[in-house]
Amino acid sequence: MLKVRGLEVFYGPIRAVRGIDLDVESGEIIALVGGNGAGKTTTVRAIAGLTPYKGTITYDGKPLTPNTAELNLRAGLALVPEGRGILGRMTVEENLSMGTYCRKDHAEAARDIERMFERFPILKERRHSLANLLSGGEQQMLAIARALLSRPRLLLLDEPSLGLAPKTTTAVFELISSLRRDGLTVLLVEQKARQTLKIADRAYLLETGRVVMSGRAADLANDSLMSQAFLGGATSPEIGSP
Amino acid sequence: MLLQQLVNGLTLGAVYTLVALSFSLVMGILSVLNIAIGELFMLGGFIGFAVIASQLPLPVALVVAMAGACTVSIIIQKIAYEPLRDAPMITPMLSTLGFSIILQNIVTNIWGSDPLQLPSELFDADFTIGPVRIGFMQLVVIGITIVLVAAVAFLVQRTAAGRALRAIAENRDVARLLGVSVDKTTLLAFGISGLLAGAAGVLISLHYSAITPYIGVDIGLKAIAVMVIGGTARVWGALLAGPLIGIAEVMTIAYGGSQIRDFIVYGLMILILLLRPQGLLGGPRSDVGQRV
Repeated sequence: MLKVRGLEVFYGPIRAVRGIDLDVESGEIIALVGGNGAGKTTTVRAIAGLTPYKGTITYDGKPLTPNTAELNLRAGLALVPEGRGILGRMTVEENLSMGTYCRKDHAEAARDIERMFERFPILKERRHSLANLLSGGEQQMLAIARALLSRPRLLLLDEPSLGLAPKTTTAVFELISSLRRDGLTVLLVEQKARQTLKIADRAYLLETGRVVMSGRAADLANDSLMSQAFLGGATSPEIGSP
Repeated sequence: MLLQQLVNGLTLGAVYTLVALSFSLVMGILSVLNIAIGELFMLGGFIGFAVIASQLPLPVALVVAMAGACTVSIIIQKIAYEPLRDAPMITPMLSTLGFSIILQNIVTNIWGSDPLQLPSELFDADFTIGPVRIGFMQLVVIGITIVLVAAVAFLVQRTAAGRALRAIAENRDVARLLGVSVDKTTLLAFGISGLLAGAAGVLISLHYSAITPYIGVDIGLKAIAVMVIGGTARVWGALLAGPLIGIAEVMTIAYGGSQIRDFIVYGLMILILLLRPQGLLGGPRSDVGQRV
């Protein structure tokens, strides 16, 4: 479904991503794990079309043009960015309407918004509040719901657990698993490697802009190198946990 | 007397509001000061004047002036803004300054540099309510302003295009991720801005029943002051600051003398910059939109 070959992204003279190859098959949850500065966020931003890049990204067999986020969305590729990307000066309902901005089927889109309210009752309760008044967990739900309203086939999630309480994090991970059961393909960027590997099918471990390990998530979870570097020993805390 | 001055101040304030709204649509959404808006306003005034002078009714003058200013605004977007989008903020501002001088030059060449008077029979009618005399044209100016502001408010607050404008103003990347085209939305902001400036130009020529090629500089700068006082990051600041400045100016002329009118307006602007740089209606300072 998604093929990334030789991806390179520069920030001025700095090469943040140094030749990444990546494959996502339909129906999978793929995890991109790694520490700070590994290039995870830069990689998904490039895939979503927010930054220029070198290399090729093909989606459904067609090459994507760099830096064309609005076209990529219409092709079925949605990103929930790091920090959730809530439009805080708009209401919850307006944020959800923005999720359907790219759609032409207005009546069906309006019904989809109501369905989202049923799926996330907390958003229905707060539908007229300004989005920046929501809690972190509610904002993450809003961000995911808004992304779903564009009816993507591939959902990119950049650190959805960032800044969330452990209980809320668990709820977000459960939501991601349920999205896959609905037929969605997910590319998940996370620092919380242990929880991520539990729900992912396959994973890529990134370090300083390169893939240093990839394979089945279960294998990575049991790998000793991975375990030492990112999952922590039995006594040390998990990376990224508060 | 005081009430009469209030009405006069509101009329002038209505025009300031429209021009300031025109500035702040571009400024609040794209963080770019389009200096040429003052001249779009002046151009609107001349186009409106030409249409009225050829015996056509006011609504026609209004529509033609708005369309003309909107077209020029879009040309400015294409030439003076679009190619310089990634340049430092000062660059597109300077190129719009260039455009404003060119526009002034064109108008001076077509209509001359002397003030043009509108036929006075247009402005004869007035109403008297107690001690207050309200000219028919004052009502027209205030009425059209209310209708235009309501239309812009509806567009920005209630339509998908308006939500796209607000999304771009708040977070460009997120707006793009939601499918908003930055190019089209920028064009829309410049277009509406031109429509408002063009309408305001017609209204000011009705208010003064005259127009000069230099009015754009005078009123344009004052509208920038209005925008600053209202809050540059908040489009609606102009609704409060426009009437406020109009009334302050008229009161200053009535009770203090016309030689100190600009002292009051710009003094107020400096005071706001020192004490409340985000403007009367501005949110927290961190809330200011980024460049697009």
